[in-house]
Amino acid sequence: MIALAASLVSTPEVLVLATSALLFTVGVVGLLLRRSPIALLMSIEILLNAGNLLLVLGARVRNQIDGQTAALLVLVLGAAEAVVGLALALAFFRPRPDADIDSPGEVQG
Amino acid sequence: MTDRMVPLAIACAIALFSALGLVLARRIVHCACLLLVHSLAIAACYLLLAADFAAMGQVIVYSGAIVVLFLFVVLLLPQDGVEPKARPGRLAIALAGGGVVGAVLLSGATAVAAASAPAAPATVDFEIKGIARSLFGPQLVPFELTAILLLVAIVGGVTLWQRHTTTRSDAEGRR
Repeated sequence: MIALAASLVSTPEVLVLATSALLFTVGVVGLLLRRSPIALLMSIEILLNAGNLLLVLGARVRNQIDGQTAALLVLVLGAAEAVVGLALALAFFRPRPDADIDSPGEVQG
Repeated sequence: MTDRMVPLAIACAIALFSALGLVLARRIVHCACLLLVHSLAIAACYLLLAADFAAMGQVIVYSGAIVVLFLFVVLLLPQDGVEPKARPGRLAIALAGGGVVGAVLLSGATAVAAASAPAAPATVDFEIKGIARSLFGPQLVPFELTAILLLVAIVGGVTLWQRHTTTRSDAEGRR
């Protein structure tokens, strides 16, 4: 298994590319599997990290610094998303006995 | 860049397995700790990809600020945010969705990897000066828009929390 992976992944670029794809997959699985709002936000952070890794890799491969600055902007986006998401989760789930995104019935649309 | 293969492989493996553990861990506190490990491993990957400033930003913003924020929220949620067990149907949906996304992404990645040449040695200035030139040059508009985004996020967070506390005090006053 490890030998197969080593033969497929020949260069560091391919390794990071595969890691980014697998991280995105793991994030999607977490997004679909978890029921806690906090775990959902953490899965979204994994998705953002996977995209960011690809941006930084692109900057390295293409020799253009714009990819790195775009990664920094995504970092800020992740911070803002965490703030709003966590405030929403707290305001919504704190009065409830359990933090389950399936339970609220008053959400419409 | 081949001399960086082994540390890069280690960092990628840590990032991947901590993400997997995050998705599978039952206690949210463990998830937050694994998010910390994950973000540090990603920062190590950035460092090995010659993105020093992005690595520093990752450590400060993710490992420093966001993980602490997550931990605070976990403490404030009822029952430390323990979630009910996932139903089997949900697990099947998650695995199917993950399988589809993973197959599409990995096939795209293999196509890209087969088509592209290995990276040339770095010729541009990857230091902080280059990042500043890019941020205040071609990417000035998105960079300035992040200021508005952060302001909106702060106001949104405060407003959501204030509305929550006022409705709670109203309910207590009615009692």
